[in-house]
Amino acid sequence: MDFALLHDAFWGLTFDGIALGAIYALISLGYTLVYGVLRLINFAHSEVFMIGTFAALVAASGIMGVKVEDDPRTGVKMVLTLLVCLIAAMLASAITAVLVEIVAYRRLRQRGATKLATLISAIGVSISLVEAFRIMTHSLPREFPRIMDKTFLFSYAGADIRNDKVIVIIAAGIMMFALERFISKSRLGKGIRAVSMDENTATLMGVNINRVITVTFFAGGLMAGAAAFFYILVYENTSFKVGFFLGISAFTAAVLGGIGNLKGALFGGFALGLMETWSSAVFGTAWKAVISFIILVLVLLIKPTGLFGESIQQARV
Amino acid sequence: MADMKSRLNLRDRGAEYWERSPKWRRVALSIFFIALCYAIPFLNNPLINTPGSDFRSVLFYPVGMYVMMAIGLNIVVGKSGLLDLGYVAFFAIGAYTMAILGTKTSLNFWEILPIGVALAMLSGVLLGTPTLRLRGDYLAIVTLGFGEIVRIVAVNTDAIGGARGIAGIPTPPNFFKAKFTILDPKPYYWLLLTFTLLIIWMVRRMAARRPGRAWDAIRQDDDVAQLMGINTRRYKVWAFVLGAAVAGVGGVVYASQILSIVPDQFNLNVSILILACVVFGGIGNLWGVILGAVLLAFTPERIRFLSQPRILVFGMALVLMMNLRPDGILPKKKREHFDPDWHTVEESGEGEIK
Amino acid sequence: MSENVLELQNITMKFGGVTALNEVNLVVKKGEILALIGPNGAGKTTIFNVITGVYKPTSGDVVFQGASIVGKKRFQITKLGIARTFQNIRLFGESSALENVVTGADVHSKTGVVGSIFGTRQSRREEKAALEKALELLEFMGIKKRAGQLGKNLPYGDQRRLEIARALATDPKLLLLDEPAAGFNPAEKVALGETIKKIRDAGYTVLLIEHDMSLIMGISDRVAVLDFGTKIADGTTTEVQNDPRVIEAYLGAPADAS
Repeated sequence: MDFALLHDAFWGLTFDGIALGAIYALISLGYTLVYGVLRLINFAHSEVFMIGTFAALVAASGIMGVKVEDDPRTGVKMVLTLLVCLIAAMLASAITAVLVEIVAYRRLRQRGATKLATLISAIGVSISLVEAFRIMTHSLPREFPRIMDKTFLFSYAGADIRNDKVIVIIAAGIMMFALERFISKSRLGKGIRAVSMDENTATLMGVNINRVITVTFFAGGLMAGAAAFFYILVYENTSFKVGFFLGISAFTAAVLGGIGNLKGALFGGFALGLMETWSSAVFGTAWKAVISFIILVLVLLIKPTGLFGESIQQARV
Repeated sequence: MADMKSRLNLRDRGAEYWERSPKWRRVALSIFFIALCYAIPFLNNPLINTPGSDFRSVLFYPVGMYVMMAIGLNIVVGKSGLLDLGYVAFFAIGAYTMAILGTKTSLNFWEILPIGVALAMLSGVLLGTPTLRLRGDYLAIVTLGFGEIVRIVAVNTDAIGGARGIAGIPTPPNFFKAKFTILDPKPYYWLLLTFTLLIIWMVRRMAARRPGRAWDAIRQDDDVAQLMGINTRRYKVWAFVLGAAVAGVGGVVYASQILSIVPDQFNLNVSILILACVVFGGIGNLWGVILGAVLLAFTPERIRFLSQPRILVFGMALVLMMNLRPDGILPKKKREHFDPDWHTVEESGEGEIK
Repeated sequence: MSENVLELQNITMKFGGVTALNEVNLVVKKGEILALIGPNGAGKTTIFNVITGVYKPTSGDVVFQGASIVGKKRFQITKLGIARTFQNIRLFGESSALENVVTGADVHSKTGVVGSIFGTRQSRREEKAALEKALELLEFMGIKKRAGQLGKNLPYGDQRRLEIARALATDPKLLLLDEPAAGFNPAEKVALGETIKKIRDAGYTVLLIEHDMSLIMGISDRVAVLDFGTKIADGTTTEVQNDPRVIEAYLGAPADAS
């Protein structure tokens, strides 16, 4: 155990934790949105994220012609490349999410299948996507070219604030804000909330359930795609396995905050990002999952529905 | 149409045939099937052979092992309705007990077996007691986390071999004429089969008696189960512990055959695969679960010639199956009207208001 | 006859800012049928939930056979001898009618999981006893022919009867019936009334929530009236019928006792 490291590098770790937490939060929004509407864990959501990272990769090298050995880009070209990669990742993830719903969920839902059957169906999609990418990438990790020069903008209390992470935090904030506006103001967003509260009543009120569900998956996919791009921008590599680890953490974050609750997902994401970064400093990175898990169990034991409760809607017994 | 369906429903017809059979026929059929199971390693049918891997090894692992574990998990998920995504943890605990005690002490397989099972059960109690009051999805993530934690702890604890695991695990001592060696998987298969039959016998007894009814009640309506005087918490922990015990047996046997284990064998995928066996076969129905496990364990081996895409094919088959038969291949029978007298009772319609 | 099976002492139940029950006192005497009436939302089912341990009262005490049961777990309360039915039928739909009732009868078994696995003599004896008792109760409720059918496939009325059989299987000292005649036609209501009387005559004590006045007046020994979470009257059927507060608050017009 190394508390000295935590003490000395506290602000640096905190900053890194917030950046990681932003990524977690964006992914966990997808879990929470789908859970709110379908009351199901979208097991394939981690692969929605994974596909986003590969889409960003393809966009960078295929569309923008960036090579791994290239120097980082500058100016307008850099901004353009970043944007194209971001949009590619978001679209790819969102489309994947919608397809996942059609393939894995729709028919089962219409037949009134059990939760477990649906879960297995989603697991099947997840396995298929992971395997497809494992075969395509020959089980090898892929490197993401450095698009922007990573520099330290300034130092605060010993913490070096790196530009790419600042971008991630700000952009993630914008995404979350946009999603929040969408859910609370737009007609479709209100549909999502209505279905979350009571599917039957929502149907009676003329809400088109299928459309609401598609939109929900699409929105969750957009967030996961953004997270995928931010992840690959900061960590500069991906593999077919990437969804698994990020997915578990993001799902833990969603549960920590109270699954089905948007605010909870955001809070859970940041809290988990911070806890993981801090605890890795103390116990070593190998144990960070253990620490997160113990914290999750403790939280659930004290508040069985997560910190914020399940408040897109009331919990149904 | 409904009539056609019921005619084609082999499960119900099978069940009906069984229920109407006199005792001698049931005994004879049972003996026949059990003998058949023991004889499978000697069968050399190209249909069931597994090109690309040794058929007898495949019978032990994955087929036999998955069947056993699926039966164990079915107590938890199928009977009691508790979604456990970390079942592999108990398997790992059994395997590690065998590995550690087998390499560090002079205890033999038969002495370690009860210790391994007891430790798996104990961890079931420790995990289950605080967490089983959580609702379904929360329980899922907590158990999933637990499964990962056990693996991560194993990877990071050098005293038990760290990521390299433990090698040189002793084989069970010879049992009469059966020699347990790495070269011959048959005795292991028979050992596993014997344990599995014992477990089936126990599970069937429980299912037909008070614990089975309690689990049925809990799965269907936890609140009402409590109000009917069932100590739901205790029965849930029991389900967890019994499931853990079965996985513990599996782990001990597995480690004694494979001779060396590494933590990464006990990953989330194993838990998910076993859950898939349970749901794929027909959740809650013992025979369906067994069939599901056989199919899911065997198929990837049978199509090993596809080498690369076989897991992909497996994943897609899962999706397809669930879309076509969401209740599994062999769902729980809707046991009704087996007593011929009930056919004659006319639907009076009495009381059918609103 | 004067022994009190159940006493609610100053029960108050608040949900957030809403007071569902306000200082309710209620006594159920051994061997009687006590009807609990009141308009919708008066707190009748809440009383059942307080008695059976679903809710813990905000204040006040529930005394069952001389001892407080507040804070006891639901299954413990059932074991002590309180059983109930539900306003919205809540059977184990995927289990057969017989299994539903045997599940109730299991309360008295002492065999645990281990005993069941090994089929001890105690286990076999208790299994047999529970089964026999369940069959007897199905017969008593007139639904023995339904024994093998799944709970969810039973006709509506039989589902209500099955719920009563399941509750009786726990051998309750106090039976709580939550609108057992809801949805019944007049003839069925009369038959149900007779059944409830038979249950009382067999030595059970019954606390009954019901809306149907003729049924209540026909079978109840006493009636308690609840309005907006407060008990406004309590007495014999005649007393309650003539109580001006009841007439005003609940009936709005003189009761029709036919």
